[in-house]
Amino acid sequence: MKDTANTERNRLSKAWNGVVVGLERIGFSPLGFGLLLIIAILPLIPPFNQEHILRWLIMGAFFAAQAAAFDFTAGYINVVNFGFAAILGLGAYTSAILANKAPFLIVQPGISPWISIWIGALVAGLLGLLLGMLTLRLRGIFAAVMAWFVGIALMGLVRNLPDLTRGALGLHPPSLLETSSNLPYFYIILAMMVVTYIVLRMVTKSHLGLAFKAIGQNIDAARASGINPTKYRVLNFTLSCLFAGWLGGFNAHYLCSLTPQTLMHTSKTVEVLAIAYIGGRGSMWGGMVVAFPFVFFIEYLRSNLQELPGLHLVIYGVLMILVMIFYPDGVAGLYRWIVARVKSRFR
Amino acid sequence: MEGSVRGSIVARIGRSLTAAIVLGASLVAGVAIAIVAGPAQIANAVVTGGMWALMSVGLALVFGVMNIPHFAHGESFMIGAYVSYFVFTPVHEYLKDNPNKFLSTVAPFAGILAAALVGFVLGAVIEKLIFYPLRRRTRAQWVMNAFLLTVGISFIFTNGATLVLGPNFRGIPRYWDVEPLQFLGMRIAVDRVVTFAIAVITLAAFWFFLRRTRTGRAIRAVSQDEVGAQMVGINLNFVHTLTFSLATSMAAMSGACLLFMFQAYPTVGLKPLYFSWYVVMLVGLGNVAGAMVGGFIVALLQMATQQFVGIAWEDVVPTIMMILVLLLAPSGIFGSEVKGVQEQ
Repeated sequence: MKDTANTERNRLSKAWNGVVVGLERIGFSPLGFGLLLIIAILPLIPPFNQEHILRWLIMGAFFAAQAAAFDFTAGYINVVNFGFAAILGLGAYTSAILANKAPFLIVQPGISPWISIWIGALVAGLLGLLLGMLTLRLRGIFAAVMAWFVGIALMGLVRNLPDLTRGALGLHPPSLLETSSNLPYFYIILAMMVVTYIVLRMVTKSHLGLAFKAIGQNIDAARASGINPTKYRVLNFTLSCLFAGWLGGFNAHYLCSLTPQTLMHTSKTVEVLAIAYIGGRGSMWGGMVVAFPFVFFIEYLRSNLQELPGLHLVIYGVLMILVMIFYPDGVAGLYRWIVARVKSRFR
Repeated sequence: MEGSVRGSIVARIGRSLTAAIVLGASLVAGVAIAIVAGPAQIANAVVTGGMWALMSVGLALVFGVMNIPHFAHGESFMIGAYVSYFVFTPVHEYLKDNPNKFLSTVAPFAGILAAALVGFVLGAVIEKLIFYPLRRRTRAQWVMNAFLLTVGISFIFTNGATLVLGPNFRGIPRYWDVEPLQFLGMRIAVDRVVTFAIAVITLAAFWFFLRRTRTGRAIRAVSQDEVGAQMVGINLNFVHTLTFSLATSMAAMSGACLLFMFQAYPTVGLKPLYFSWYVVMLVGLGNVAGAMVGGFIVALLQMATQQFVGIAWEDVVPTIMMILVLLLAPSGIFGSEVKGVQEQ
């Protein structure tokens, strides 16, 4: 009797171990996967199933995915892509123009948004490749400044080509789905978030990730051990831009309204940057965990303090500076610290 | 890596070729503007050039000495503009009722001086409050960390200004209510002449300070070799704070001087920031002397862009120029004085 109970327990623990190993292979801890499941069923539970909260959840997932793609560059090879929002906007505009059917633009290719999103991602990735090849052989600050310049130039292009983009008036691309409900969109962006995370995590878990980390920490040592820094940095940068463009495509066909100011402005990059850094650089999941409560907090602040415009942005800035100076490991570092404490206590 | 690139013939040819292209282009631009738009536009370009030089000297200095890529430099400009506005306008209102020749001549100087002073104090406060703690904690990955901190500072200042002062534009038509000067058949507003004079005097004084005074030598020593400077007894903390204060002060001053061209509003600093980064990247990161010349080159190119390509393309043309520079001469047309442009 006792034996069968033991074997039963053994079998269970083996199965559990198998699950843990399987999850780890795609980059999730059991706790992280649990959080993901909670977020996935959250819109079905009453206080969260209202449309405006669903929109916040979508923004949360959107920011989480952006933070992962941003941290892939900033946290690993230590290069800040300061034109991230503009590259995301390039993906969005490419996809929107390709999907356009309305007669007010000079081109009406009318490709399905389901296909044009991928082309937008490729175009953004291509720009990332060219930009990386130009700047990433120099010090990291060149890439940051040049990405900023290119971002401002892209914004200028969007404004100056009204025949193609309607300029500052804003473009209204067709939507991804023929529904007014936000729920399907939530699952789409959640899936995109998970794909972004898993793909980038797989890359960082491979030998490429080791090279990235080595370059980010000490580029001379990396070079001395036979790594060609430029090659790996360009690869990293391109991948990050590719995902940025992909996410931009979702944004285009979900919001169905694109203006250069609300999409490509540098302050949008700073928002992503703040989330990624508060979450903990080099962790990727830290920014994703922070994104959801952060979006809720910010949206709450924005809807309740309308007489104080810009307060939430000041809070972004202050939090970012505090984290940078006093606790650079962010939320991910805090989590690691707590886990270490708990483990040492129960040993 | 650094030695091989700096020494290589290809890089040297690339640099002198780019320098020739850029200098030639700005010369052609100057002549073309003078022919098409009249010499008054040249005067305009020279005035803005002086201010861009003032801005980018601070930027180059902060990068050269402290290794901080300063992205809140435009916010110093913005604060200078606000300070000068709030000092000058009440006096101006008062003068409407009781005219006073002396006061109306001096009031603008008071505004500009107040901006410079506020900038100086603000620079010291920011350095002590933000960069000093970071420097004490770690020097690892300093450039990127410092860059992100300045981004945060810029975010706080622009949005803080919106929060406190609102998104309104605050400007003045002119500082001095006097007849424009006649010069070679052109009419030039007194504001522009005085502004240019201020820029030239400040730059000359600053150059003298860096070259001839003990403190200036200490600043240059730190920019060349921090450890060596510390060994010969230079107080690093003092030099860093002073450098940052001076840079902020000069940016605030140019914001105050240009109040008649750029009205004060929360994001007014973006364009000056953009152009001073353009200058600094063009001439070479950290090259202070180059930045003085570069300010004028960029102002000429900017004016030519407005004149011949259209003002809407002002954001696009510098990027194309920058791509050219990065392809041919990554360390700038006059060469960089910072230790290694290639990744160290």
